[in-house]
Amino acid sequence: MRIMIICLLLLCSCKKVDIVSNTTDEVNITGYLQQHSDKFSSFLKILSITGDEGFLGVYGAYTAFIPDNDAIAIYLQSTGKPAIENIDVQELKDLVKFHLLQDTISTSSFSDGKLSKLTMYGQYLITGAGNKDGVTRVTVNRQANITQGNIRVGNGIIHVIDHVLQPAKFTLAEMIENDPKYSIFSQAVKETGLYDTLNILPASNADSSRAWLTVLAESDSVLNNAGISSYADLKTKLSHTGDPKNVDDSLHLYVNYHILYGVKYLADIVSSTSHTTLAPLEVVTSKLSGQAVLINDDTFNGIYEPGVELNRAGSDNSASNGVLHAAMGHFAIKIRNPVPVYWDVANFPEIRNLPAYFGKQNYPFTLANMPKDITTPGPSAMTYTVGSTYVNGDFLAIPLGGPGRSAWVELKTPLLVRGKYKVWICYRTQKQSGSSNNVNQISVDGEPLQRTMNFTVSMPVSSAGEMEAQGWKWYTDPVSNNWASRLVGTVDIKTTDRHLLRFTTLQGTQNNNNLDMIHFIPQDMDQLYPRFKTDGTPVPRP
Amino acid sequence: MKYKLLLLIVIFLTPSCSKWLDVKPQDGIIRDNYWQNKEQLKAAVIGCYSSLLDNELVENLFVWGELRADMVTSTLNTSIDEVNIMQANILSSNSYTSWASVYRTINYCNTVIDFAAQVLQSDKTLTQEQLDAYLAEAHGLRALMYYNLLRSFGEVPLQLKASASDDQLQQLKKSSQQEVYDQIMKDLSFAEQHAVETYGNITVDKGRFTKFTIYAIEADAYLWMEKYEDCITACDKIINSNRFGLMDGSVQAQWFNTMYFVGNSNESIFEFQFDQQKLNPFYGMFGATNNHFIGSPRVMEEVYGIDITDETKKDIRGDGGSIRATDQMIWKFAGATSGTRLDARSAADSYAHWFVYRFADVLLLKAEALAWVSKGGDALRLVGKVRLRAHALAFTEKSPDSTSAADISNYILEERAREFAFEGKRWYDVLRNAKRDNYAHLDIILDMVAANAPGNMQQSIINKYKDVRSHYFPINQYELQADKQLVQNPYYQ
Repeated sequence: MRIMIICLLLLCSCKKVDIVSNTTDEVNITGYLQQHSDKFSSFLKILSITGDEGFLGVYGAYTAFIPDNDAIAIYLQSTGKPAIENIDVQELKDLVKFHLLQDTISTSSFSDGKLSKLTMYGQYLITGAGNKDGVTRVTVNRQANITQGNIRVGNGIIHVIDHVLQPAKFTLAEMIENDPKYSIFSQAVKETGLYDTLNILPASNADSSRAWLTVLAESDSVLNNAGISSYADLKTKLSHTGDPKNVDDSLHLYVNYHILYGVKYLADIVSSTSHTTLAPLEVVTSKLSGQAVLINDDTFNGIYEPGVELNRAGSDNSASNGVLHAAMGHFAIKIRNPVPVYWDVANFPEIRNLPAYFGKQNYPFTLANMPKDITTPGPSAMTYTVGSTYVNGDFLAIPLGGPGRSAWVELKTPLLVRGKYKVWICYRTQKQSGSSNNVNQISVDGEPLQRTMNFTVSMPVSSAGEMEAQGWKWYTDPVSNNWASRLVGTVDIKTTDRHLLRFTTLQGTQNNNNLDMIHFIPQDMDQLYPRFKTDGTPVPRP
Repeated sequence: MKYKLLLLIVIFLTPSCSKWLDVKPQDGIIRDNYWQNKEQLKAAVIGCYSSLLDNELVENLFVWGELRADMVTSTLNTSIDEVNIMQANILSSNSYTSWASVYRTINYCNTVIDFAAQVLQSDKTLTQEQLDAYLAEAHGLRALMYYNLLRSFGEVPLQLKASASDDQLQQLKKSSQQEVYDQIMKDLSFAEQHAVETYGNITVDKGRFTKFTIYAIEADAYLWMEKYEDCITACDKIINSNRFGLMDGSVQAQWFNTMYFVGNSNESIFEFQFDQQKLNPFYGMFGATNNHFIGSPRVMEEVYGIDITDETKKDIRGDGGSIRATDQMIWKFAGATSGTRLDARSAADSYAHWFVYRFADVLLLKAEALAWVSKGGDALRLVGKVRLRAHALAFTEKSPDSTSAADISNYILEERAREFAFEGKRWYDVLRNAKRDNYAHLDIILDMVAANAPGNMQQSIINKYKDVRSHYFPINQYELQADKQLVQNPYYQ
């Protein structure tokens, strides 16, 4: 028996069992490079000089753009140094940082513009796709092509690139200064003292809102076409105080108007409809028309005002503190006086495109297909309502208030010129039932107006003047006491732009909140006229 | 000892020994016992068609045919893979690059083709003619499946043998586009010879391959390869048969009901016949409140047009035909009624057919071919016929110079968008026109994507489409792992 046990023990001993002590055999970025050292030995060498091997070898979430050996050879050639060791260590450190982002970003989330995260160096990278001889490659910073993308490793994602990425060396100010085609604009930048604003690196900028800026520059030829052949011409034409350094001087404002807050590549510019500029409270509007990026291309008060195109080829130039674009036309701040806007809220493209309903029958919108300029949080949406007349024979019935109805509704206004307006809410008074009530606070861009309004309250009728004093008016022609217009306050519109107007229900709940029009009338203008006929014709004061 | 003996006897006697060595499955049928009579043969052929009702297959056909074009847009519920196709970010990890569902049907066809001849020995009531007719269906269906692969992937492996077990799996290389096309044509020429003209039953005629189905695929494939005369000949075979016609469009509600809600109309040549037993996946894709796809806003505004002044003037294929204008629901597959009242299908009613070929398709394929052989006048007359039936609006009418092939062809392309909206044809139509004459018309694709791309990705997307290799899908990563002979398409390497 003993012998048998010994035999058994002998049989099963001695063989070394491989115990797996790792939870995964997935490598990290450094590990991947080592595995493929035939391609990446140069970059590994850089990492060992800068001492970054370690942190790329441990856990984290990085995106690494890794130049292969050929890319680094090209880079060395361009620097004129014989070997990597000859390059200054600090420069190498910056170089490595410029190739790393602290996030995992795959090529699917690339756009025409910048990546959503800064590189560890502190500058943005832009992406895109370039086609050369029929072959398209994903590009990075317009300097390199991705030859192999989306390699997932333990601590992030690797994109192999065929050229080394190099950060922008110049600030916006230097970039404009160095480019001979911007000589007039450049002088304007200097004379207005804005050169300094455009010449600070983000890290050392005390004003964080101006750390990154975007300049829409006008070249000499653009200015020539506008009849300006020198800086002197520009100054004569624009500077009304004679002192361009004065912040109120219109030449100063002109330059400020060409500087946008934030770093905005063309892809960012077309993603938003307006952008604030350094000129106080002035915005430029933007849109994509076909492939053209247009600035200030607007229809204002029914009149089309053609805009200025940004030249794609000359734009998207990265500077160390922002981005420089080339405008293909001369543009300046448009001086506009506030004009009244009589806004028929039940007239928007989505309903006009349904000829079977528009002006003919009710159409219940659902949360899934709300028009793009009207927002509610749900659960209720709204009904386009026809039949009980007034302006253009239609209005919106917007259920508001507590459970089962939306708490608020927000409408995007037409373009409003900067200025002070009185805001009138025009509605058909209706109570869903005898006890119904619906008190709303009106706010514009989140600023509550002075007075609330209640869709169930009938207008107290007396003389027009007395009513105006109490904040009421007739807005229909002929006048009807069922169709009330309530003054909810005066709003100071700070930028010429489209704004957001919100009804928030404070008290009560009902479906029949019949909103017909909203009037924005400059405060020094006649508030009581025009009134409107059912077909929408305005009737001026007799 | 006595008991032990008894035990042994009991052990040996109790189980009946006869089936000990019989390892046939008890709940299935094996090949040696199949392929015995013509009923089994027919069942196998019908099985090929049943495989078309696979959810993944029609989803793929819709996604491949529509997402890269300009008729469909995303909702909040569209998946990442779907959005990535719309935005030209297609990687081999995208689930829609899997061609498994197509090869599944191909394998069923291969099985019939490999084994059907056996039946002739065991079932003397089966005639050679009947056998060939069944084989024609299998060849035809295989050709249709390869045609889908050709247009979607370009180069694909030609699997022409049945793989009945794992050890028979072949490691195949990709064949060139020309080789795939030649194989399709070979299958079709056999099928054309032997397919029947009718099965004597209208429902069966629309759900199984007839001679006319084969002609339609031929016409389509000839046009794809720019063989215009051949395309016209194939179309004429269908037109001159006088078996098909355009459904009357004077009452939209009726027209919609016959063509799309019920299906198998006189206009139809071949459809995937979903029914109440086998519902399609369209309710989740188009009809449900959390649908993945809706029509693009341009479908009403640009493709069909809207008569703002008179709502009774409308293209029957627009609001209430292909789309519900109020919420852009893809009505062709999600709608139950049309005309004055538009009610959507419920989940239980989601059995709209998938329309592969219709008579209108034949007319417009022929028109396109005519345009390129300098018969522009005849081409425009055919387009006019299709437009007249549909009450197309004057807004969408064009009068291209009858001598300008490109202008007429572009007009036909627009008309095809109206006629076959959401039927999984748009991208292939655009690609066919763009690639004509060695990509002389690449602008067609570039203009389309420029108008539809999100503003912040527009330039990248245009540049991606400028590389014509991007017009075909990558091979799915799992296929590459399974078949070491496959090489990824160059654009995606």
